[in-house]
Amino acid sequence: MSDTGSAPHDVGSHSPDSSHGEGGGAEHGHGHIHLQYQPGLPLPNGKLCLWLFLSTEIMFFAGLIGTYIVLRFGAPSGTWPGPHDVHVEEWLGALNTFVLLFSSFTIVMALEYARANQPVLAKGFLLATFLLGSFFLAVKAYEYNSKFQHGIYPSHPHSLIYERADVYYVGAVRQKLNDLRSPLEQRRAIEGDDFPAEDAERLAFISQLQDHMVRWTERKVTFTDDPMEANDTMLLMAHMIYPLHRYDEQAEFARNKELRAIREELEQLAARREASLDDTYQVALLQDDVQPVEDPLADDDFVELDDETRLNGRLELLEKSEEWKKGLNEDASWLHLPMYIPSGNMWASTYFLMTGFHAIHVLVGLIIFALALPLHLDGARANFLENTGLYWHFVDLVWIFLFPLLYLF
Amino acid sequence: MSEHGHSSSSQGGYADDHHGSNLQTFRMVFVGLLIATVVSVATAQWLPAPPHVVWAIMMAVSCVKAMLVITFFMHLLWEASWKYVLTIPATFMSVLLVLLLIPDIGKRTKMYSEERWRHASHPVTQTHGDRHSDHEGAPMDGEEQPDTEGRN
Repeated sequence: MSDTGSAPHDVGSHSPDSSHGEGGGAEHGHGHIHLQYQPGLPLPNGKLCLWLFLSTEIMFFAGLIGTYIVLRFGAPSGTWPGPHDVHVEEWLGALNTFVLLFSSFTIVMALEYARANQPVLAKGFLLATFLLGSFFLAVKAYEYNSKFQHGIYPSHPHSLIYERADVYYVGAVRQKLNDLRSPLEQRRAIEGDDFPAEDAERLAFISQLQDHMVRWTERKVTFTDDPMEANDTMLLMAHMIYPLHRYDEQAEFARNKELRAIREELEQLAARREASLDDTYQVALLQDDVQPVEDPLADDDFVELDDETRLNGRLELLEKSEEWKKGLNEDASWLHLPMYIPSGNMWASTYFLMTGFHAIHVLVGLIIFALALPLHLDGARANFLENTGLYWHFVDLVWIFLFPLLYLF
Repeated sequence: MSEHGHSSSSQGGYADDHHGSNLQTFRMVFVGLLIATVVSVATAQWLPAPPHVVWAIMMAVSCVKAMLVITFFMHLLWEASWKYVLTIPATFMSVLLVLLLIPDIGKRTKMYSEERWRHASHPVTQTHGDRHSDHEGAPMDGEEQPDTEGRN
């Protein structure tokens, strides 16, 4: 790395503002012009260029992080996912922070030892930095994997996140259950008696969910006049699949209300059946002639359920849902149903974008370390090592801001 | 580093004026960074304060950590005045860019109509359960949407 060159400064030239007066050229006789280079800035070329690069990186990450800040704090109160809603573990972030801080320290050490002409120690510290950076990436990969396992991806179609618990969400759940059902039914048709019990159980469970979770919700939403009741029911369904703790109280309230209403209705049905006044009803029951309310949502291949079966089925489901402490997507994770996370897709976009770009920068840093490791790291190489260190410190700097913003807020 | 004999300013500003106790300085800075991280995490997990206060503390701690890394690890403490040309505009840009986006993007939901709420990615329709658990929600029939910044 050479000096920064600037305008050559002639010693004893004919410059008009020369204070030597008229004797400039004549005094030096042989006409030899000495050029002296003065650095424009008191630092080597490489370092200057790297700082210019870092300033562009600052702009880059300031843009991303600034956007995240504005979006996250601009979301209405209670609509941004908390860390536990989206499987973000704070302690993993803290571990990564420690790893990067330590790696910043080791590369400073490497630089100091290189400057002090102790290449072996410098190389040792550089190796330590490389290993720590690799560990960071490994932890990041583990985190990403756990998100993907839970259906949290940066965007559709992989992403299972729905931002509202509305009729489109219910439709998506219905579609997913259908998609899960078809291959199982086909296999059952082929295998017959060889159909494994576990799969038969799953098929039965899917049917139960389809009848008493999805179709119940769809019926309720279609036939009720009260939009709040409709929303409560859809929220309850979403809460069964992927419970968000902020909705625990609401879901509990909706659930209890529904339990009471169903029990009341069942009692009424039972009372009617026993009442000897309703002879025609009794006769019709005996003749299997009771026509339930026509369901405009009924598919051709769905058997329409009578009121009692519907109510009992729903009751059973509601009581069973007590067992799913962490929701269907955790307790029956083979389901992989769409889940409701408010502002979830926006969260996923910003999270993956920021951490993804940061991880790419870490990877580039690791490549540079790998290229630097075979070199002899003495005083002559100190400038190169310093510049590498500056880049790495910047990567650490970005993480220092990313960690609280993504993990702790 | 002293191969340029005839240059009148060969040594000046080449960050050579911090010999000696620097390993100790760096160790102390590292410990300081660790302590700051612990403070940050502890504040987030245990401090019984309103969210705004917790966030302010965490941002302040992050800025302190950033300053430690920049001044010591990146050696800016020992550099000449060009460091101000670098750092001051960058700081301004970072802060101002965020502030300038707040009225239009951050506060966009303040002016949402009922119709707009229906298409928003935020689920703010009220339910019966809301009445019992103090959640903020969308305006119902012409009610004004309250200012909902920040709090989670």
